[in-house]
Amino acid sequence: MEQQVTVAIIEDHPVVTEGVASWIRSDPGQRVRLVQTARDLTGLDTGAPSAAVVILDLELAGELVTARIPGLVAAGYRVVAFSGHSDPAIVMETLDNGAHAYVSKEEGRDHLVEAVLAAAADRPYVTRSQARAILADQRPARPALSQQEQQALLLWFQGMSKASVGRRMSISENTVRQYISRARAKYAATGRSAASKDALLARAIEDGVIKPGEIMTYESFARAAGD
Amino acid sequence: MTPVQPAVQPAVQPTATMSGRYQRAFTIAVVFLVAVWHLGGAGGQLLHNRQAFASFAFQGAMWLVMALAIAAGSVLALRAAPSWRLAWAVAVIALAASTAAAAASPVGQMLAVNWAWGSAGWTGVLVLLRRRFTELAWFLAAEALATLGVLAWDGLHRTDLAGFLAVLAWSTGAQVAVAAGVRALDVAAGQAAAAARSEHAARERAATAAIIRAARHARWLALQESAVPLVAELAAGTADPGDAQVRNRCAVQAARLRRLLAEGDEVPGPLVHELHASADVAERRGVAVEIETAGPLPQVPGPARRVITDAAIAILTAARSQARITLAAVAAGIAVSFVADTGAVVGLPAAGEGVAIDHQQDGGLLWAEVRWNSR
Repeated sequence: MEQQVTVAIIEDHPVVTEGVASWIRSDPGQRVRLVQTARDLTGLDTGAPSAAVVILDLELAGELVTARIPGLVAAGYRVVAFSGHSDPAIVMETLDNGAHAYVSKEEGRDHLVEAVLAAAADRPYVTRSQARAILADQRPARPALSQQEQQALLLWFQGMSKASVGRRMSISENTVRQYISRARAKYAATGRSAASKDALLARAIEDGVIKPGEIMTYESFARAAGD
Repeated sequence: MTPVQPAVQPAVQPTATMSGRYQRAFTIAVVFLVAVWHLGGAGGQLLHNRQAFASFAFQGAMWLVMALAIAAGSVLALRAAPSWRLAWAVAVIALAASTAAAAASPVGQMLAVNWAWGSAGWTGVLVLLRRRFTELAWFLAAEALATLGVLAWDGLHRTDLAGFLAVLAWSTGAQVAVAAGVRALDVAAGQAAAAARSEHAARERAATAAIIRAARHARWLALQESAVPLVAELAAGTADPGDAQVRNRCAVQAARLRRLLAEGDEVPGPLVHELHASADVAERRGVAVEIETAGPLPQVPGPARRVITDAAIAILTAARSQARITLAAVAAGIAVSFVADTGAVVGLPAAGEGVAIDHQQDGGLLWAEVRWNSR
């Protein structure tokens, strides 16, 4: 059996912590092990990381903590944001700060455990709310997505299963995943630098999701557009 | 009825045009400076010293070549930031003309009668203004070296060297100062435009927030009548969470609450309101409906909106327990999609009014997309 992924939950509402813990417990493969829960970030960004992945509520005691993500990443955690804030700007800031994935509270039951597992393996995981934020992105420095990537993200955001998206686009479900992951990987190549983004990108290249050349093309394109 | 509005987001463009307008003004100032220098400064010096040259006609020809290079450079700089090829082609022509003019000057008097060094330097500033600073530095260094080379060929004296350094200091100094100044102004213009943009956006957000707050209050009142009694029943134990009907009521109220919360970050528009109204009707039948938007949505004209709401009504009436509606900004329009457990095929309205309808059935789930295109 593969080793369990260790996870910590940072959440100021005990009832939500309890809910997340129950999703982790009810995972049939028992692939995730909860090792720590906390109501704030005290002490987390110093010393050795207590878990491979942190599930972070973006609002602790009434304050947005997106700015604390780089500290957690630097301390060696992989961060999965779990939040009621689905405002695309906040989702983008969360990813830009180095979070591996963003899961809205409505998506938790279906996606949180999978997002934690993907984060532990440095693989992209794109929820519908993340797809929405990418589609809504209007910043001049946003990465250039191909038409296929855009279309796959749009259909996924609209609520289709990946299999249905594949049928719609006349491609395999696997290719759908590839397009969506590639769009996500392009975002890891932009903005503020973070170890987690490098790891995600390296893994995407290793998995053949994206070619190093595609990242280069994008960077030179962004520079030209920014001039 | 709302008038048709162009499908562009207004907040993004002003920044680019505003800082672009400033940059253009700076470019015009530099063009003016270079033209005045070449006509007045260099031209004046050339005429003043016309007796000193072995061939005044050759110097005049070089002056004309330089004038043409400046004219071409001005057109390039005013049209857009020139490509490195074009920019350097103009710069190299200016450099060649100035070196030829210097080489054809009388031995021993070259620095005294030289009119071309300054013009060539200014031409470089003009075409390399918005390229990397090191490119201009290389050009000015090449220009100085070429002049020094001509001096050395003629036999360099100590006094020549002092004169060379004096001219170098003042002419290159002025050119670097102007280039650096324009660069600083470009940055300042960009910052000013960004500040204006964020202020504009803030005002727009505040106005939007006021409208949303009112709509939200109305919904909150409605919730008092639906969600609160359910929670009270659950708390009192009169409603059993094990009962499928109670669970469905919970799902509907949860979807309603989520929509209420989600409304905060959306721009209100008649289309969104109409879809919310359709969703409210479906909710009364026990269907949980979520509505999400992505991107700045264009205003959709009335007739096209009616096709979209007709599709919404057809699908939501057929939905059994859940439906998801999304509105996404797409190139030149909007894509409104529905995913619902309708079970069977739904009769959708006919396309028209710039609206295209697509659908796909996967098992019990229907996906339908209504796309309105402004063109």
